[in-house]
Amino acid sequence: MSTRDTSSKLHPKVEDARREMERGRLNRREFVRFAALLGVGAGAAYAMAGLPSPAFADDHGNMPFPADDPNAKSGGILKIAMQVQKMEDPATYSWVEMSNQTRHILEHLAMTGPDNVTRPMLAERWEASDDLTTWTFYLRKGVKWHNGDDFTTEDVKFNFDRWMNPDLGSSNVGLSSIAAMLEERDGKKVMREGAIEVIDDHTIRFNLAKPVLSFPEDMYNYPTALLHRSFEPPFSANPIGTGPFTLVENVVGDKCILKRAENHEYWGGKVYLDEIHYYNFDEDNQLTAFATGEVDSIYEFGVEQMELAKALDGEIVSARTSQTLCCRFQVDKKPFDDKRVRQAIVKAIDNNRVMELVYPEGGDVGENHHVAPIHPEYFELPKLTRDVEGAKALLAEAGYADGLELTIDVGNTDGPWHQTVAEAMRDQLKDVGITLNVNVMPPSKYWEIWDKTPFGATAWTHRPLGTMVLSLGYRSGVPWNETNYANPEWDAALDEAESTLDVEKRRALMEKVEKILQDDAVMVQPIFRPVYTIVKSSVNGYPGHPTQYHQFNKVWKA
Amino acid sequence: MVKLILRRLVQMVLIMAVASLLLFAIFDTPEFKKRLAVQELGGFAVSALTDESYNAWLAEKGLDAPFYIRYVNWLGDILQGDLGFSYEKNREVAPLLMDRLANTGILAFFVFALMIPISLVLGILAGMKEGSVQDRSISFISVFTTSIPEIATAILLTVVLALGLGWLPAKSAMISGFDFKQLVLPVLTLVIYDFGYVARMTRASMAEVMTSQYIRTAILKGIPYRRVIMKHALRNALIAPFTLIVLQLNWLLSGVVVVEVFFEYDGFGKLLLEAALFPDVEVVQACTLVAVAVAVMSQIISDIGYTFLNPRIRFA
Repeated sequence: MSTRDTSSKLHPKVEDARREMERGRLNRREFVRFAALLGVGAGAAYAMAGLPSPAFADDHGNMPFPADDPNAKSGGILKIAMQVQKMEDPATYSWVEMSNQTRHILEHLAMTGPDNVTRPMLAERWEASDDLTTWTFYLRKGVKWHNGDDFTTEDVKFNFDRWMNPDLGSSNVGLSSIAAMLEERDGKKVMREGAIEVIDDHTIRFNLAKPVLSFPEDMYNYPTALLHRSFEPPFSANPIGTGPFTLVENVVGDKCILKRAENHEYWGGKVYLDEIHYYNFDEDNQLTAFATGEVDSIYEFGVEQMELAKALDGEIVSARTSQTLCCRFQVDKKPFDDKRVRQAIVKAIDNNRVMELVYPEGGDVGENHHVAPIHPEYFELPKLTRDVEGAKALLAEAGYADGLELTIDVGNTDGPWHQTVAEAMRDQLKDVGITLNVNVMPPSKYWEIWDKTPFGATAWTHRPLGTMVLSLGYRSGVPWNETNYANPEWDAALDEAESTLDVEKRRALMEKVEKILQDDAVMVQPIFRPVYTIVKSSVNGYPGHPTQYHQFNKVWKA
Repeated sequence: MVKLILRRLVQMVLIMAVASLLLFAIFDTPEFKKRLAVQELGGFAVSALTDESYNAWLAEKGLDAPFYIRYVNWLGDILQGDLGFSYEKNREVAPLLMDRLANTGILAFFVFALMIPISLVLGILAGMKEGSVQDRSISFISVFTTSIPEIATAILLTVVLALGLGWLPAKSAMISGFDFKQLVLPVLTLVIYDFGYVARMTRASMAEVMTSQYIRTAILKGIPYRRVIMKHALRNALIAPFTLIVLQLNWLLSGVVVVEVFFEYDGFGKLLLEAALFPDVEVVQACTLVAVAVAVMSQIISDIGYTFLNPRIRFA
């Protein structure tokens, strides 16, 4: 497909956006993000913006991968230390690690790159109706399965049908795009009549019950890998995919061996590695495994291991993310049902200081509204400053002039940094007369109470759009609402933002969304943390990814 | 003797039955089921599940049946030689257990091969002349090494020998097949921890023998000192260390969790820990059975050996 093809069927909003950009109201990078969202190949978008194509936008093929490296060497085995898990049913995956093992075999309709921009993958492009309720996906032609079959809309439909089967238990039903295709029937959520419309072998249309902004982003969520229409679990027994690699052996808790698929014509251009091997190492041990040279890279290391990592011979790869820790209150439990108490706590804590203390190498400072600067619709509110006197006054007003004793539950579910954050908060709260007890519990214990404890520190993972996590976590009555926050005004503001495709307009609408949430003081959310991994210097083109998704098509070893 | 062995074996079966029943009951609590669900589905997912779908998940895994039914089923399978299926590792328990036992066996072999000669020689040297400089220095070293926890030794050795000098690999995951070099650090850690204990026991036993009448008589009779030690003292002095060494088998089976986990060595102890944390009940059960069997067997061996070494004890 050439770039001209795309521009002839451009979404009307793209033209608007281009005019905005030309008038200087939208910066070029934002334009690219916006255009990509509307299904314009990133290469084409960069061209329209008058920018040179960056590494991650290949003009000619409308590829989601970086361009081929003329110096690249073919061959070699990439060895990675990561937890090796089972590969049972990709639609019900619950851990990123298992999806990483699979992601070299199975592919997605869309792919979110390390830059947090989502581009077409097995789809060639997509179009959204103006009201965001109809999404048409055009599949890439010439994509083959490992068994020689063509990749068609039949496969796509097969997967969507599976995800929406209430007996399967896929977490994909929680994605807003899929949720908008469901309806309740006999007490079960099932697919709405006419939700999926197969137009032809390469065109499929989705009719949603309500506007959804994040359809392409949802399609790179880890359980949305597309399976062959003949799929039966377990995947490891019959691993047919469209990707460049195939499974040789998967021993849970030991190793996962992937090899380049033989006799397979891969649509995605050159792939350099011959094999990818995952070896089982716990998170705590991955960096030491790397230190002794046994592996070329690791899944991740925590910030507390940074000094060791710096001492090693390797390149530290960090990715900016919207992964965060929400030290949140339940707004209907004492003493947090008093807004003044919540506001006092928020005022007493200096998010800047906490960030510097816990992530000295950098990261983004949180502003207690759970939208990260990496999100396209992030609206910059006035910076928060610490206000000890104001906090004391609020506490006194709320009847706690003599101080207050609180306990925060911490599960360290993605590393001991949670505890460090809580301890920093403890020290800062002391200044306003609040005694904070930090109750550290094992991760599995924490997951039992995460949505029940009045004051707890919950980790949230990265999502490409700011609205995605707000919808999941803070809307009135949604299952993952851990704060019991229920504010119709805020829900309406979020609705409005979520039904606005235009990034510039959406950003303006986000001001209200962010402001209300910030003012209601439902959480102390001090850090958007970067994630770290490390690779040997002989490995080239290793992408860091905000959700630690592995996509090694263009990685090569010198 | 046959009676003694039979009695011990019956005891073993009883211990196994009680232990497995207790474990099954513990792992049957709602908390453990929830933990299993969290491991399988992820924390966020589990808390978002409705009661109905959580129960459906339990039913799918067969966890909804009352525990005595599951226990009886499991028992039936065990009696037919089927050790069950691991939730976590997604494979049959039997081959998994054999793999891990073999690995721990290799580790134990090298630990014994080093620890026995070192501790016996040092213990005898120390016990020969109680209170001598030789005795004092050996005793000091033994107490010192034994009193350092394995984890501290492991970290120290890793920092110095692996990360500092770069002589040895820091981990023992053996990702590209068996590698003797990767075995050195765990073996060394265990030997350093254990030899002092056995040496001290040997020393005590030797020292006691050296004060006995017949040794004094032998020396007074003018038999060369060397011959007194070799011919008269050693045999008696080795009785206590022998039983002790056999009992180290138990310790090497499940007491080395720290070392196996630290070095990522895929042995029995690490398997047991992972299974307990997961919680992978059928693996824990199988491991427990093996541990009980080894404990009882090693006791039988040490009892029998003891009677052979010490003619004063006869089987009742």
